[in-house]
Amino acid sequence: MRHNPAPVKKRAVLYIVLFLVLLLAGITGFPGNNILRYGFRIFLYITIGEMWNLLSGYAGMTSLGQQAFIGLSGYSLALATTKYGLPFPLGFVSGLIISFAFAFVLSFLLLRIDGMYFAITTWVVAEALGTLFMSMTYVNRGAGMTITATPYPKIGVLYVMALILCALSLVTVVELLKSKLGLAVIAMKDDKQAAEATGVNVKRCRRIVYLIAAGFTALAGSLFFLNKGTIYPESGFDIGWTISMVFIVIIGGSGTVAGPIAGSVIYVLLSEFLAHYPGWSNIILGALAILMILFCPQGIVRLRRRIS
Amino acid sequence: MEDMISFENIIAGYGCTRILDNLSFSVSEGEVFGVIGPNGCGKTTMLNVLTGSIYPISGSLLFKGREIGTLASHKRCRLGIGRTWQIPRPFAGMTVYENVLTSSVHGAGLSMEQGAEKAGGVLDEIGLADKKDTLSGELTLLDRKRLELARAMASDPSVLLLDEAAAGLTENEAKEIMSLVGSLKEKHYTVIWIEHNIETMLNATDRLMCMAEGRNVICGDPGEVMESEIVEELYLGKDI
Repeated sequence: MRHNPAPVKKRAVLYIVLFLVLLLAGITGFPGNNILRYGFRIFLYITIGEMWNLLSGYAGMTSLGQQAFIGLSGYSLALATTKYGLPFPLGFVSGLIISFAFAFVLSFLLLRIDGMYFAITTWVVAEALGTLFMSMTYVNRGAGMTITATPYPKIGVLYVMALILCALSLVTVVELLKSKLGLAVIAMKDDKQAAEATGVNVKRCRRIVYLIAAGFTALAGSLFFLNKGTIYPESGFDIGWTISMVFIVIIGGSGTVAGPIAGSVIYVLLSEFLAHYPGWSNIILGALAILMILFCPQGIVRLRRRIS
Repeated sequence: MEDMISFENIIAGYGCTRILDNLSFSVSEGEVFGVIGPNGCGKTTMLNVLTGSIYPISGSLLFKGREIGTLASHKRCRLGIGRTWQIPRPFAGMTVYENVLTSSVHGAGLSMEQGAEKAGGVLDEIGLADKKDTLSGELTLLDRKRLELARAMASDPSVLLLDEAAAGLTENEAKEIMSLVGSLKEKHYTVIWIEHNIETMLNATDRLMCMAEGRNVICGDPGEVMESEIVEELYLGKDI
């Protein structure tokens, strides 16, 4: 939000170099498949974390139903590739279109409600979708669907796609925050009525933010399930997706662009480590989130700034 | 002079509670129009109706001859209605400059570059230029009141609605904010001004309206209004 061009330019060059290095790593595959797999997951979680942060941290629209778009896009990919034999990029496009359309229609209901009611409604809608898919023969009910792609993309390709998606989501958030819309988003989070009286079209801004978040979350969902190869209603519409977004933003720092990046790295590494202790992972992640809320509510990014 | 604002038999309220009861009055272009009345008489509700925070149940609300009773709040701001709040409501997560910039780009519909120029000019005018990078949540009450005024002015309004600009301030602070408000007339704004400091209203307003129970009980020359029996009765607590 601060408009100081000189350091911003320097940082932009640094980010472009970092992006190119990470891209080169994916293209050449030199870090090895294991590291690329970690990178792939981190980039996807950064994308969905940034989008949840945009919704909740910046715009004050705390959604508990972002898994709806992950499930919809995952199933769109499965239907496009397996049922209709389309190439997977078209599956991505169909997932994006369906998620946008769903978010657009849903926004007419969601824009009338706020706070806790908004959160609960988004959650209920996502749960309802999960239940619907569980009973639909068109999508094999609870038996789930496989995702076919020929040739199946290697981890290096998936990593590059996730990196590009992640970079796009970051650029979108940064540019949005610097724009007229960014001012409106922060104003309406602070005081919706005062923002309206200042000329901000709150409904329009909320709809745009919701659609952007839905689109990027959907693309991340498509990539995740392309890598996984199968989708079930329980995995696509699992509230665990949104819980991970919340965790990432709480740990990293809400209302900051860097927060979800730090949060995603911690989340992926920690959940990988805790996978060796089944049953304990959710307890430890939950305890960590509570500790952060109690002792460092502004997240690790602001803690680092305070120390420095 | 042309009527800028016209309330015609406006009935409005919150839920089942009726606050404005057939309220009628009009304000001419360039006029400083004061509004007084006991607590709970509907002064702030009248501003809320005017800015679109609540919609009238019935009656007609005209702005420059155009019906605006059903228009959304942001559209009324863009038409030229700017307001301040009794308890300042700055966007606390933003700096002073960003607060005013939001108003100039959204309220006045300027580009970011033009808006930045406008915001800088208004901050200079109001005397907040040296605090432009301060987070608005960290300002003193006086500066928050100034920021309210700056934000309203940055939207390029033709009508400014001031809701108790001096409320909560010390005597000296109130004088400062009053001199700022007093300068608005020279800038050719039409002002609707709610205030409890009646002495100030006598000197700074062109006309004064006294409200009671959601109605316009008397409106006219400030001196005559203040000397009227009905206002005396209202302020001394007698029945009307």
